[in-house]
Amino acid sequence: MESAVVVFHLGPLAITATVVTTWGIMLLLGLAAWFATRRLSLDPGPLQTLVEGIVSAMDNAIRGMLPQRSQMLLPFIGTLWIYVLVANLTGLIPGLSSPTASLSVTAGLALLVFLSVHWYGVRSEGFVGYLRHYLRPSPILLPFHLISEVSRTVALAVRLFGNVMSLELAALLVLLVAGLLVPVPLLMLHVIEAVVQAYIFGVLALVYISGAMQSQQTVSDSNEEGGT
Amino acid sequence: MEVDWTTFALEIINFLILVWILKRFFYHPVLDVIARRRAGIEKEMADAKAVEEKAQALEQQYENRLADWEKEREGARAKLGEEISREREHQMAAVAAAVEAERERNRVLDERHRQELRRTAEEQALAQGAAFSARVLSRLADAGLDERIVETMVADLQRLTLEQRQTLATSAAEAGVKMHIVTARPLRDAAQARLSAAMTEVLQRALPQEYAIDESLIGGVRVTIGPWVLHANLSDDLQFFAGGVRRAS
Repeated sequence: MESAVVVFHLGPLAITATVVTTWGIMLLLGLAAWFATRRLSLDPGPLQTLVEGIVSAMDNAIRGMLPQRSQMLLPFIGTLWIYVLVANLTGLIPGLSSPTASLSVTAGLALLVFLSVHWYGVRSEGFVGYLRHYLRPSPILLPFHLISEVSRTVALAVRLFGNVMSLELAALLVLLVAGLLVPVPLLMLHVIEAVVQAYIFGVLALVYISGAMQSQQTVSDSNEEGGT
Repeated sequence: MEVDWTTFALEIINFLILVWILKRFFYHPVLDVIARRRAGIEKEMADAKAVEEKAQALEQQYENRLADWEKEREGARAKLGEEISREREHQMAAVAAAVEAERERNRVLDERHRQELRRTAEEQALAQGAAFSARVLSRLADAGLDERIVETMVADLQRLTLEQRQTLATSAAEAGVKMHIVTARPLRDAAQARLSAAMTEVLQRALPQEYAIDESLIGGVRVTIGPWVLHANLSDDLQFFAGGVRRAS
């Protein structure tokens, strides 16, 4: 269910409903972030406690995989979780469609994950050092490494797109066939699926990035042990 | 299922902008306040630990001071004990000396009291003895006894030393001096003559004589010459005897 409805044109760019929805989500999240953090204090209230709990939970999840790099990865991984979750849930609002039901969106996010893996890997060990890990444990595995990079990125995009699009399509079909209240259980399943898919997308991104960074760290550690 | 490249590109840009927005307005402020709270907690923990260490140091110092105080107190207590023991020994010695002195004083008083009782008893015995002797002698005394006593007195006068004779003569030489002669019974003339002659010889002159009777003498004579009294009678002898015995005791 690819949504290619063009809302307006911005010069040569055709602004689709997906982009407009994303802008709305960005505005909503920006305002929510400003509202939640405008009066932070050392003695937190209920809202600040909730906000700190969310951030701490994400930080702890990242810290579990990369204890030393959680501060660096939190903005990217945390934004993936939040954005994908809100985008997934947007489909529950009548008249709106989930941006993540668009392959263009999930492909863009997957591409960002793909690039971020290399970006953080290069930042961690340098360009040559990072590229060297494709030759380990044997240069013969280089094609498989490259295929793996592409296939897991494609899988990341298609998995999220397929799950969200199929849920919305299933809900639409049930609504057309059975009536008004019958799709409600399916919508509840949509909520669970939205949370699960957001979590999976972010965790996979975290696993890919941490794999790139920890592979360099493992090599460095093994070299240090060999040197000593 | 096709990709709209415009949407694809815009979504990438939108997501990057969203990352910046959330990083700027969400993650950083929240992480900052968490870090500040954690720093405050760590500071409070550090302060608490410092206070605890300080308290432990003070506790150790206090315990050391208590130990020192305890040691000083033990020393002072031992010193006080020694002083008390020494003072007690001193007081006990003083008390023992006082008791001994009191015992000695009581012994002396007791001895004196016994001596006084014995002396009183002796005096009473002597007095009774003298009274008994006087009663016996008064029944035995007569004129013959008086004359024998006079003869004895005359013999004693003849045995006086020159110095004694000179002393009596000096007293007799004073103007107005008389010789008083007291007897228990009237003395016969012969006895009076022998007594007068003997006195004249001793005094080297003849003095006027006055005779008197005093039965308390029992027997014998008492001659008074000025300040001098010559006792030659039983009453005075008994008294002399009693007094001599008393002095001797």
